[in-house]
Amino acid sequence: MGEKALSPAEAVSTAAHALADAVSTGSKLLAGTELFSRIRDQDVQIATTPRDVVWRQDKVTLHHFRPLAERHVRIPVLITYGLIGRWTMTDLQDDRSLVRNLLNLGVDLYVVDWGNPSRADRYLTLDDYICSYLDACVTEVARQAGTDRVNLLGVCEGGVFTTAYAALEPERVNTMALTITPIDFHADAVENRPGHGFINIWTRALAPEDVDRLIEANGNLPGEFMGAVFSLMTPIRTMFKYNLDLLDVAGDENRLVNWLRMEKWIADRPDHPGEAAKQWLKELYQQNKLVKNQLELDGRRVDLSRITMPVLNVYAKDDHIIPPATSQALRSVVGAKEYEELALPGGHVGVFVGGKSQKLFAPAVMEFVRKHDGGAA
Amino acid sequence: MSDPPFDFGLKSFADFWSQAGKAAQQAQEDATRSFTEALKSTIRPAAQADLPVWPGAAVDNAELARASEALAELWKAATELSTGMAKSLAGAGNGLSGAKLDPTVEATFRAMADPRTWLAGAGGMDLVIGAVAQGPQLADLWNAERQQARVMQAWTEMRRRTLEHNAVVMQGWLGAARAFGEEIAGRTKKDGNSPDHKTTLALWAETANRVMLETQRSEPFLQTQAAMIRSGAEFRMAQREMAERWAAQFGFPTRTELDDVHRSLTELRREFRAFRRKHAERGAAPARKSEA
Repeated sequence: MGEKALSPAEAVSTAAHALADAVSTGSKLLAGTELFSRIRDQDVQIATTPRDVVWRQDKVTLHHFRPLAERHVRIPVLITYGLIGRWTMTDLQDDRSLVRNLLNLGVDLYVVDWGNPSRADRYLTLDDYICSYLDACVTEVARQAGTDRVNLLGVCEGGVFTTAYAALEPERVNTMALTITPIDFHADAVENRPGHGFINIWTRALAPEDVDRLIEANGNLPGEFMGAVFSLMTPIRTMFKYNLDLLDVAGDENRLVNWLRMEKWIADRPDHPGEAAKQWLKELYQQNKLVKNQLELDGRRVDLSRITMPVLNVYAKDDHIIPPATSQALRSVVGAKEYEELALPGGHVGVFVGGKSQKLFAPAVMEFVRKHDGGAA
Repeated sequence: MSDPPFDFGLKSFADFWSQAGKAAQQAQEDATRSFTEALKSTIRPAAQADLPVWPGAAVDNAELARASEALAELWKAATELSTGMAKSLAGAGNGLSGAKLDPTVEATFRAMADPRTWLAGAGGMDLVIGAVAQGPQLADLWNAERQQARVMQAWTEMRRRTLEHNAVVMQGWLGAARAFGEEIAGRTKKDGNSPDHKTTLALWAETANRVMLETQRSEPFLQTQAAMIRSGAEFRMAQREMAERWAAQFGFPTRTELDDVHRSLTELRREFRAFRRKHAERGAAPARKSEA
């Protein structure tokens, strides 16, 4: 190679050779093609941990997981995911499963599934989800366990539901654990890391009337729309996904099936009910009402100082969707004397599927709920 | 009966595996040609003359033409860059590694260097907006001039805002390519050798990622993205108004009427849940405490 500088086109083209060098394409492609020809949908299952539907109302179902080990805590844990994505992320595969890890540690575990909201559900509000459906789930879990209170474990938007519920009904919550949950929706500016907090930035760039009109035009916030937003947040990662990333896993059946499991979860993206989406985008992302104690649900103010039960706040160090500072803001606003934080390595979904998280997350939750299991009624 | 094959809508995924390099190049060339022709027709005065003229529409069409021209210029630059890459790839058999590229790898790289991917594949929000904005074809209702005019204006506005946003995105990608070229040139000049292939690929990914993340939080990006979302919603609402006028004439239920029903149903369910909860609490103790 001479000293002549390459043009952008020439230089970029050499990258194609890197692909060939990097992936040993011939054998990998052959193996990948052969694998694809015999992989069946039933080979790519997610959320396989045995469970039973114990309660349902409208489209909401409450599931109780069957025990995998002797129970070591008396008060059950209720996992609450949000309306963006589905709870199945917590049980993606056998060896990457928060659900299985907690069950193996002896936790009595429930999860709420919000179902598939359709256009007919566009008028459901956050008030409905938190003060009615979630409240009913808590009531049912407590009834089944014979306790007055339950342990709540909220995830992302479901963490906001959990936080609001704990503030409104503190006497019904034994402990509150949050995972990758935004509390201060404007705290993305604290670290201001490139590529982090795009949803915060983009939503603030919209006028409130834009949000209203978007929902009016579509009824709900389409899951497909949110999928595009998430893809746009990582432009290069998205570009490499179906070529480099795929080539990287193509020759190994286990890795390929794991990769397909994640694809299956991503593809299952429900629409977000319209009125609830308006509250989520305007009152939380734009007006930041939660951390200011200005959010009102069912005519009641959500005052975070009323959260006096023990709190465990889990966040991901490299979460580009929920920047850590937006979660850590919880510390200064809750009334809890016992407040703990757990910073996990990796990004937003890495909390659930990362190798290191498997050893850290569930044991921390188990230790947290066991420590506070004695005072239950 | 055998199990169904693995399938949950990963079309691009399946496409990738069935795609030969030659077909990919042909598709790219076809798409580029059709896109360029579409842009030309959009800004061609004769085409504008064919459109019905309503008050305000002419102004919007002029704005659309300006947005189209701006993107056409950027598209030309991007296409030239992509074509340069394609030519380099064509000679890859005698290239740096001395080994002929695998067709699939070649197709992969072509996809990465395809300007269409920069506009759509990397984000897709404009496509999603376009998809959700698509409504029924109502070409036989030209008698509803006023509403049709509004739909046309809304469509024009949406196209214009989408083109403006795409221009910002395209500028970002071209900026990334420029920064990448300068970095490569700098490294080559420094030690007399071009970086190896793996380093080059990593550098392209790192550079493009950095520049695009900066672009995506820039004021022009935010403004044009918001305008694109707004115009997509307005277009859909204009379509709905026209469709509802048609539906009303024939006694069909409209979206607005269905929304009314759904609102009532939601409120009734809400009241029922509240009633049931109070009923259950009446016999339960202790009564829950609520904030005053």
